[in-house]
Amino acid sequence: MVPLMAVFPLLCAFLVSLSNIFRLSERYIKASFLVGIFSPWSIFILNMSDHPVETVLGGWSRIAGIEVAIGSLNYQLILVELIVFSLVGVYSLSYFEDNKKEGPVRGKQMFTLILLLYGGIMGCFLTRDLLNFLVYSEIASIASIILVACSNEKGAKRASYRYLMLFFLSSFLLIFSIGIIYVKTGSLNFYLISQNLVMSREIKVAITLAFVAFITKAGIFPLHYWLPDAHSKADAPVSALLSGLTVKVPVFGMLLFLVYTDIEFLTLPLMIVAFSSILFSIVMAILQKNVKKILAYSTVSQMGFILLAIATLNAAAAANYAFAHALFKSGLFLGIGVLITRYGTKDIDELSCKNDNLLMLSIIIFTLAIGGVSPLIGAFGKQGILSGLSGFGVYLFYIGSIGTLIYFINLNYSLFNLKSLGKQYRSIEGMITFIVAILTIAFGIYYYPKLKPLDLILIGAAFLAFLILKYLHIFEKKVPRIFSKDVEGLGGEINLYAAIFVFFNISFLIYVLH
Amino acid sequence: MIESITGGYLNAELAGVILLLIGLYGLIINRDLIKQVISINVLSTGVFLFFTSLGHVSGGNVPLIMNTDMVDPLPATLMLTTLVIDVAETALALALILRMREDEE
Repeated sequence: MVPLMAVFPLLCAFLVSLSNIFRLSERYIKASFLVGIFSPWSIFILNMSDHPVETVLGGWSRIAGIEVAIGSLNYQLILVELIVFSLVGVYSLSYFEDNKKEGPVRGKQMFTLILLLYGGIMGCFLTRDLLNFLVYSEIASIASIILVACSNEKGAKRASYRYLMLFFLSSFLLIFSIGIIYVKTGSLNFYLISQNLVMSREIKVAITLAFVAFITKAGIFPLHYWLPDAHSKADAPVSALLSGLTVKVPVFGMLLFLVYTDIEFLTLPLMIVAFSSILFSIVMAILQKNVKKILAYSTVSQMGFILLAIATLNAAAAANYAFAHALFKSGLFLGIGVLITRYGTKDIDELSCKNDNLLMLSIIIFTLAIGGVSPLIGAFGKQGILSGLSGFGVYLFYIGSIGTLIYFINLNYSLFNLKSLGKQYRSIEGMITFIVAILTIAFGIYYYPKLKPLDLILIGAAFLAFLILKYLHIFEKKVPRIFSKDVEGLGGEINLYAAIFVFFNISFLIYVLH
Repeated sequence: MIESITGGYLNAELAGVILLLIGLYGLIINRDLIKQVISINVLSTGVFLFFTSLGHVSGGNVPLIMNTDMVDPLPATLMLTTLVIDVAETALALALILRMREDEE
């Protein structure tokens, strides 16, 4: 019964697109959208008491069939997907209602794509089969690429093309590595792969190529270049889904490799990539004026933290932090989305949440959670990552945490800077953001009911650093543009990115094979 | 005839990898967006060729139930699924290029 969790949304996506074709009334479309969003809950609740659940489709043996499972590895990811999609589903009903600006594809058509994304991500999280994982992740990524392209924002199509080309490239490298794994182990099922695994050179090459593909898809520095534009140009609910959940799909792929194969030979390069991703994106986030770009770079940096957990071979910490990140990052995108619609700009200096107390509170909670302040949800995941580090790594980790707090203090400072207009705003979107904020606290207290005095020192250090940077006018600096804005410039960009991708692959392979 | 040119060194796997590298090279040197999409398609053809040839058993039979000693049908079947993805992504890339050009004009 478990696979139905992925089937329901896909089926409802089909129904929504059919009702569009037959021009049925909007009520039917919205109803089938909501059925698609909420129906997977029923199966999840039915199976909640007796997990782990492991079934092979059609009752075949593992050799012939596709295995799906809910267990300790994916339980949290599935739970957070259900929560985020339910809330974003309701949010997008009113968001696309209000935004009736005409574009090529709007409103009702977006619902089909959101459901396809839902089914694709759910299928990825459930499966224990390598090729099945790939196919579902392609469904999810194609849906998200079209969702980005559907935004009315200028440059959205350009961002979407870049997104597509990088995904296209990394997918084929992933298929190539799947081929090597199949020929060496004779199976695509992860359990059977782990049974037949002999760590030969070929298998090491295959796992390395797969990891580079996952790093690209997860948007981790230095293969992150598609992410900031794609996540910042999309509509608010779409950004929330992309930053919250789509980037977790490759993370789950890495987790499967971590649990079922041996990736110890990759520990050092993964750790270097993780730390450089964390620190690089902090610098980039500090230099941004566009509020959604700050959040997008923050995703690059947070994915670095998740990769760090994987590099320290700690699957539980990676899953916990992915859970936490999905919750607070989607909440932040939803909250900021409300402000952007209200003020009609993305410039951090022109936005304010002084007229909306609930939203103000929610954004403060999210930013503290991202900084890893206890007892919010981020603290639990960060504690798990920290336990695997030693020596110099611990210092870098704290620098990363302080850096994260710096650019979010800057964000909060700018949001409170404007004068209050007197009138208080209330909206459904704001309420939904507040629900996510409450969940951030509730899960935080449930998983990690402790208070760490060290957090106060971190916040203090971040505030001090913020004041110094403010005094030095660092926040006013801009990142220079390298490529021109026309199609020609885009071609050059793709050339450069493909070259970096190849270079990255080669350097990983040289490290593994030397 | 092909064997006489390659001297017997070239098998389908190797040809697949070579195509993949040609595709990657094309993606790095071509500025034109359509040519980039074509390069990626060359790359994907390489991957398909590589994967399909993994199931090859020399002198193997057609994979039907009554046959023994047959080739592995799984890689070819899996590539059918991946081909569909390839077509969808190519179509999407071309559509995006068209839209971008329209926006520029």
